[in-house]
Amino acid sequence: MTQLSSNCRLSGLPRALLLILLLLSLQGVARCEPHTVSEEEGLQSFAGLGADAGGFVQARPGTTLRFPEDHGPHPDYRLEWWYLTANLEDAAGEPLGVQWTLFRQAQQPPAERPEAPGPWAADQLWMAHMAVSKGDAHRMAERFARVGSRQSDPERDQAGVTADPFRAWLDDWSMVSHVSEPGRDALDRLTLSARAGPDDARFGYRLTLEAQGPLVHHGENGFSQKSADGQGSIYISQPFYRVSGEVTLHGEPHQVTGRAWLDREWSSQLLGSDQAGWDWFSLHLADGHRLMAFRLKGGGTDGGDYLSGTWITPEGETTSLDDSALDLTPLTTSAVAGREVPTRWRLQAPDQGLDLTVAAPHANRWMPTTVSYWEGEVNVFDHASGEPRGRGYLEMTGY
Amino acid sequence: MLTALATLLSHYRRHPGQLAMLLLGLWVASALWSGVQAINTSARDSYARAEALFTTGLDRLERQDGEALTREDFVRLRRAGLPVSPLLEGELEASDGTSLRVIGIDPLTLPGDSAFATAGSRGELTAFFTPPWQTRLAPDTLTTLGVDVSNAEQAKGAEPALADGQRLPPLVIAPALPPDTLVMDIAVAARLLDRGTTLSRLVTAPDALAVAPEGMVLTRVDTRISPGQLTESFHLNLTAMALLALVVGLFIVQAALGLALEQRLGMLRTLRALGVPGRRLVALLAFELILLGLLGALAGIVSGVWLARALLPDVAATLGSLYGTGVGAELSLPWHYWLGGIAVTLGGLLLAGAGVLWRAARLSVLGLGHAQAWRAGYHRQLRRMALAGVPVALGGLALWAWLSRQPAGEGLVAGFMILAALLLTGALWLPPILATLLAGLARLTRGRPLVQWALADLQLQLPRLSLAMMALLIALAANLGVSSMVGGFRLTFLDWLDQRLVADLYLHPPAAQFDEIDAWLASQTGVAERLATRHAEAVLSEVDYREAPGERPPAALDLPVSVYGITPGETLTPRWPLLSTLAGREAAWQAFRDGEAFVNEQLAIDQGLSPGDRLVLTTPTGETSLDVVAVYPDYGNPRGEVLLSTSQLAQRFQAPPGSLGLVLAPGADEAALAEALTTRFGLGRDALQDQREIKRISTTIFERTFSITRALSALTLVVAGLALLTSLLAQARERRRRLAPLWALGVPRTRLITVQLAQLSGVSLLTALLAVPLGITVTAGLVAVINVAAFGWRLPLHLFPGEILLTVATAVVVALLAAALPSLSLWRTPPRALLAEEQAA
Repeated sequence: MTQLSSNCRLSGLPRALLLILLLLSLQGVARCEPHTVSEEEGLQSFAGLGADAGGFVQARPGTTLRFPEDHGPHPDYRLEWWYLTANLEDAAGEPLGVQWTLFRQAQQPPAERPEAPGPWAADQLWMAHMAVSKGDAHRMAERFARVGSRQSDPERDQAGVTADPFRAWLDDWSMVSHVSEPGRDALDRLTLSARAGPDDARFGYRLTLEAQGPLVHHGENGFSQKSADGQGSIYISQPFYRVSGEVTLHGEPHQVTGRAWLDREWSSQLLGSDQAGWDWFSLHLADGHRLMAFRLKGGGTDGGDYLSGTWITPEGETTSLDDSALDLTPLTTSAVAGREVPTRWRLQAPDQGLDLTVAAPHANRWMPTTVSYWEGEVNVFDHASGEPRGRGYLEMTGY
Repeated sequence: MLTALATLLSHYRRHPGQLAMLLLGLWVASALWSGVQAINTSARDSYARAEALFTTGLDRLERQDGEALTREDFVRLRRAGLPVSPLLEGELEASDGTSLRVIGIDPLTLPGDSAFATAGSRGELTAFFTPPWQTRLAPDTLTTLGVDVSNAEQAKGAEPALADGQRLPPLVIAPALPPDTLVMDIAVAARLLDRGTTLSRLVTAPDALAVAPEGMVLTRVDTRISPGQLTESFHLNLTAMALLALVVGLFIVQAALGLALEQRLGMLRTLRALGVPGRRLVALLAFELILLGLLGALAGIVSGVWLARALLPDVAATLGSLYGTGVGAELSLPWHYWLGGIAVTLGGLLLAGAGVLWRAARLSVLGLGHAQAWRAGYHRQLRRMALAGVPVALGGLALWAWLSRQPAGEGLVAGFMILAALLLTGALWLPPILATLLAGLARLTRGRPLVQWALADLQLQLPRLSLAMMALLIALAANLGVSSMVGGFRLTFLDWLDQRLVADLYLHPPAAQFDEIDAWLASQTGVAERLATRHAEAVLSEVDYREAPGERPPAALDLPVSVYGITPGETLTPRWPLLSTLAGREAAWQAFRDGEAFVNEQLAIDQGLSPGDRLVLTTPTGETSLDVVAVYPDYGNPRGEVLLSTSQLAQRFQAPPGSLGLVLAPGADEAALAEALTTRFGLGRDALQDQREIKRISTTIFERTFSITRALSALTLVVAGLALLTSLLAQARERRRRLAPLWALGVPRTRLITVQLAQLSGVSLLTALLAVPLGITVTAGLVAVINVAAFGWRLPLHLFPGEILLTVATAVVVALLAAALPSLSLWRTPPRALLAEEQAA
């Protein structure tokens, strides 16, 4: 007879609360009793990346990668992502940045998943982030989905990735392969589309990505060690995309061109238990070289930081850089979202003759998502002369 | 100091009856007050919980053809970019037979402002949506599940079994949830309810979707109707009753205190003479008052809680069935409830005792209290009371004048204030009126000395009796008012049920089978007429008023209304009541068949509509313009409703088929038809409903509502009786002294007792007769002011002479019973003792 109504819509709480929820949940099955997480605890094992791998398949050196299968999901590993960043320009030459990320997080080790899970089973949690930035504007959105990995037809799920034909999606956000020629990698030609926000504040993109070079395997044939005691992940990239398409911001479309970088990574225990976050660079240099470099806080040989990187020639040949061949030094920090985040860095790789300054032109690229982090465009300069050397993206976690 | 206090209190050792009476008054008054407050507090908490339940604030999507949505629909819409979330709702039976509401959600897509928070979640998300899952429930649901509540640790994580043997996922306490509601992940809900991939509905954040996806119906959350308004009036009713009880109870206290002081005048004088300062004496009396107050209040609150426990299941059932609000049947009381109860009782007691303290403070050491001296003062007091009544009455009138110019449907509080002013005026004017009547009667009865004496004596008693009589008047008037309203409501409601439920059977066919079943029924000879209904939601976006077009421009609105479709066949039209029409019933029904609309009284009052006005209704599919040709009564419906013929509704609003009323031909076999329907079309037992069954359920709901009002009103009358008894006891001894000379003059004791009983029943009868017009006025106020303000519709005023007579007789009987005890003691007292008392005085 009557419908109850709610005059009191609850607002305010959501994000902060979900953040805590997710931080807790991401810490995995090892913790059973509900408890509140302290800031320190949350940082200690950022997003659960340092949680024990118990029951999951471990990433190991010597793993043979097979494509296109390995473009698809690896549900028996705890964590996985398809991570794309793009440095773009509009018709007027104004720079724009775009991010699209699909995370997969297994909720139960393979052995604990029920035989007959039912249609709503959720042993995999999928999470997608998207962001568009231009000047001082930075818009982002986040979505979630549940998926049972034993479902027979992944095409009928709310989120997922299929390897052949390659397609990654969550809701209407998708990254789809358009490669038809045999012998070419599925990731060589992609369309990427996502949008969010109400009409007048809509933001999103529809981009075409063409790879100009091969897939790159980091570390030891794709096994990228993440701490001195051997923790690591399988890590491959496609850093050679040329991009064209349309980006929408504040409801207005912009025709864009530029470069993009796709990271693929999966693991069950990415970080050592004593590691609390990272600073991660993916740079497109003007001479056609690419550089991936990261610094993990903790986990180094003497309890120091763990540094690693890959020097990539325009042809896709790689040189691994360890902490003796690489140096990362924060120069200045900016106050962002109540935190002090380094937004100007010195990056040195003497063997490659690199002494660079990497600086974020806009500091406000904080992603206030469930698991929050800084992700934004950076400009690369020669440290001595200050001459522009390229562009790229920087991701910083654990601040 | 202590000695003085002990001396003062020693009075009660000699007169334990007085102490008992004092405490009784305090106890009864505070018990009724705190009992009702306990119910109110508990019920309010329940609404807050019900309103906060997330599913109530979301727009909903269902399939147009009435089929269940499935997981495929959910995924399809999500992948098309629509922010929908699946919801599964169903009933499970607890092992004790209680029906539990199960809500299955997907916390990952549930809109917004994370509703998951309202489910009381602060634990892990993973634990919620992965095996073994969780059952979130309010603490008061634990007992229903047979979980030992005494051990909270044990209750947490328990996996109680249901009636069908299935076990619930581990329990997690979420106090914000409504009672008997279980919130869990959709995966486990689907398993427990055995729903496979089907959904109850998809939900989305309010206004997230501009239009419904193809083949679906979008129902926007109705932000206008809140159970708040309705339940508020119910609680206001309860509170008013409780306040009345408190006032009446304090009359008892006042009388008992007066007596205790009167009898201790001698003792007080002695104490003063012995050197106890007057101020200290007053302080000691105040201390005594507070001591008694605390005792009474505590006892009252304890019994109040007990009373509330006894009444609460009824209240919960009433509110639950009337308004769809789940109210916990468990009592949960915050600390301020206890303090509040004591404060109100003590405050009332000090108010009642203030007069006594005042008199004690001005006590002259040598003066003697004289009944005659009292009487002189009383004349002044009567004049003051009569004068004081005037501004109260004027205030009430002014309020009424103000209220009549307010838009309809408002001013519930003002309505109650008018009633309060009415009752207060009545109470204030009662003693002067009684005094005048008695004086008049005394003049008429010259030459009949005993009668004349009795009347004169009654005048003398009036100061003491007047308080009790005022209490009686208020109790009687309220009782009359409430019982006429309940009676009137009942009559109207039953009539209305008869008019509305004309078909013998009501069928709710699944949408997919509707046409097939309808066609089959059309071919059955036993079915005389099929009355199809449909239902849609629309927004009333514009009203074009017919009258005075210059003065009242068309109003643009944004008001959600239900649109209801009925079949204006030969069975329905003659019996469907209409309140007002444009050009008579026949013309109204003809226009209705031609596609014009009726509106219910609630909408008419709310928007000031009358037949002839024009409405514009907006739906997702477009706009429709309709003429209002009649207004019909719609008792019990809190919402505005527009009535159309079913065929018009189907055409203009694309409303899905609803229920089907079946009027059977004379002599048709109802059971055979029902049987044929169930076997032929595989309909569930819920699909077919008997008209008698619907009536029975409706009547039960209704009876429950008013059983509480009745109980409280009866209790108030009992309290008034106690007030009268206390007043009589207070003056019993003095009266005996007054009777002794009469006996000495040769009037037999039997005669004396008869005179005494006649005096009292006479004055009660007078009071009761005065209460009758007051009660009728109160009834008129309840149905014409309070009801319109609370529910949006007016009740016809029904008077029940039988009930009125019964109330008057009750008053006299109560008075006689109250007089019986003092009379009995007079009967027992040897006349010699009377004389001795007289001499002693």
